Amino acid sequence: MTATPSTPTLKDLAHQWQDHSYAFLDESSKRELRRTMLKAVALPGYQVPYASREVPIARGWGTGGLQATLSLIGPKDTLKVIDQGADDSVNAANLRRFVSRMTGVATTTDATAATLIQSRHRVPEEILGERQVLVLQVPDPEPLRSVEPDISIARQMHADADYGLMWLKLYEQLVRYGRIVQGASYPSLVHGRYVISPSPIPRWDVPKLHQARHLTILSAGREKRLYAVPPYTDVRPLEFDDIPYAVEDQSGHTCFRTGVTQKFMNELPQDDGSALFELSDAGYGEKILNAAEGDGPAPERTYFNDEGRFYHDGYLK
Amino acid sequence: MAYVAARGGENAIIESEQLFHDLNGPLTAEKVRVIMETVPYLLDRVMGEASLYAPELAALAIAQSGGELYEAALLLRAYRTTQPRLEYAAVTEQGEMLTVRRISAAFKDIPGGQVLGPTLDYSHRVLNLGVLTGEGAVRHEATPAPEAAQPTYPALADWQRKVGLLPEVTPDTRTGHSVPDLTREPLLFPPARAHELQGLARADTGGLLTLGYSIMRGYGLIHPTVNEVRLGYAEVNLTHPATGVAFSAGRVRVSQAEIVTEFAGDSKTPELALGFCATLGWNEVKVIAGGTLDMNMQKAADHGEKHPAHTPEFVLYHTETVEASGFCIHFKLPHYVTFQSALDAMRQVRGNPQGVNLPGSEVPA
Repeated sequence: MTATPSTPTLKDLAHQWQDHSYAFLDESSKRELRRTMLKAVALPGYQVPYASREVPIARGWGTGGLQATLSLIGPKDTLKVIDQGADDSVNAANLRRFVSRMTGVATTTDATAATLIQSRHRVPEEILGERQVLVLQVPDPEPLRSVEPDISIARQMHADADYGLMWLKLYEQLVRYGRIVQGASYPSLVHGRYVISPSPIPRWDVPKLHQARHLTILSAGREKRLYAVPPYTDVRPLEFDDIPYAVEDQSGHTCFRTGVTQKFMNELPQDDGSALFELSDAGYGEKILNAAEGDGPAPERTYFNDEGRFYHDGYLK
Repeated sequence: MAYVAARGGENAIIESEQLFHDLNGPLTAEKVRVIMETVPYLLDRVMGEASLYAPELAALAIAQSGGELYEAALLLRAYRTTQPRLEYAAVTEQGEMLTVRRISAAFKDIPGGQVLGPTLDYSHRVLNLGVLTGEGAVRHEATPAPEAAQPTYPALADWQRKVGLLPEVTPDTRTGHSVPDLTREPLLFPPARAHELQGLARADTGGLLTLGYSIMRGYGLIHPTVNEVRLGYAEVNLTHPATGVAFSAGRVRVSQAEIVTEFAGDSKTPELALGFCATLGWNEVKVIAGGTLDMNMQKAADHGEKHPAHTPEFVLYHTETVEASGFCIHFKLPHYVTFQSALDAMRQVRGNPQGVNLPGSEVPA
């Protein structure tokens, strides 16, 4: 190294040119997103509008979750991205590839090893901890959409905590079908105040948000709304006193890869008219199989035990 | 063998992208240049929907996406969102715009005159098949007028205001940072006037046409009359941040339409009212449809019965080109978790939760 003293040029002083910012978004956009998230945490379940930047992924493909992830992520994070529970789903693979290309962070398929999990339509089966953030991609943030498509009126209804139409919708299902037939996106009351759509996670996953140790950020890029379920916050699916909330029936289903029961399963139709079942949470399945071969950590405690009992006693009736 | 996730998917998506580009042929600077020089109206449409005036980048986006216009608009928008705001241009008035075409359907002649300018309106829509055999290759050259046309024309609306047909307007004096910006702020309802006009300016051309046409054909509150359609070049006037000297950074192609309706105001002294739409690039269908929608949205604000195409929420959300196209194609993504959840609910109602003929199920009667 030569020690010729010389006046530094502008080029020397400027940092090395990059064709994108760290984590793609410019700093002011990330700051806006983080402020939006803080507001969302302060008002559990309240949908906070934000500008929502265009990102190099098509709208409706997780751009809201992606913006939240890009704003939260730092060099020390470990990222997991899942779609329908699977790490190798093409869109999950694509989002993971993008975030890791823009940040260089480590990625994992192990839900308990990740600090940041971006997910579409699933909450992992293993219990998440306090140092973890779950970002859920949200196609439609408005739980009242099916009863009131006009956003301005729906906002007024949230302000008034006027959820009568929502209750009526569930009651009508009960009258027509003899039970509540709402599938995924089950409307749920957060902190006794705002009804949210928990995103299209199955009913199996909604209880996992209740008094959770982790923070859940729900972000809708196309609809430009973001909301949160902070740690240790009540989340109650709307249920009538005499009609308890019911998760999908997993009894009798055994994962053909792992032998596991009482977890949310994918049904795989077979040529002979039968069906096989496999764990929807692919990372969990991978962990079980690897651990069985002595190649990796043992799976941790799950929200539902092998008898299908939820870890908060008495929460599910 | 351990069950390995996150492998197959990644290779598959990389190869599928390669195949797409492979089938479209090589992406070269020459290809981009040819697109830029030969299809200006296509560039205009993409630049308008992307709200980024950059013909070379638009040509690149079209080439790179193989002409898939929704992809091209998204490419440009995703690029635009990363660019810093260096300066804000000064407001350009209609009367200052270098105008090449301006016509009014409201009057036979208007101050400054009707200027047909470049248009296919009166062309015979006959394919020039001779071009394919090399016989019909033609170089069109317009005959210069004996006297050069004037570069600028007054706004017809100014005359209408002067004679009391249109109400006076208070000019919005906000400039630069203080102008509401749809790309940096959430769209809330009722929308800021600036947000509404920006939303129309970057809307999907086909979307505005569909909703605009629904109004024109039978669901409108007004009969639209084209007060003025204008194509021109607007100067991008900036002030040098160091010297404070005003200069033009260049010109952008813009189009705008004013739609006029009668019998606005109160019943004693009815007056005219204007709907407006402007966009980057020359796109007459878009601005006429957009202006008609704007007129109806304003009128509907004080009108009881509303059609979806009269409400800003319906119009602005559903003509958002990148959001609408993105959400449409997102249905290709797997939805088997939500489907399974609905299937469970359905089977519960049918009384065999495990499914017909599946392990644990009852044999159906």
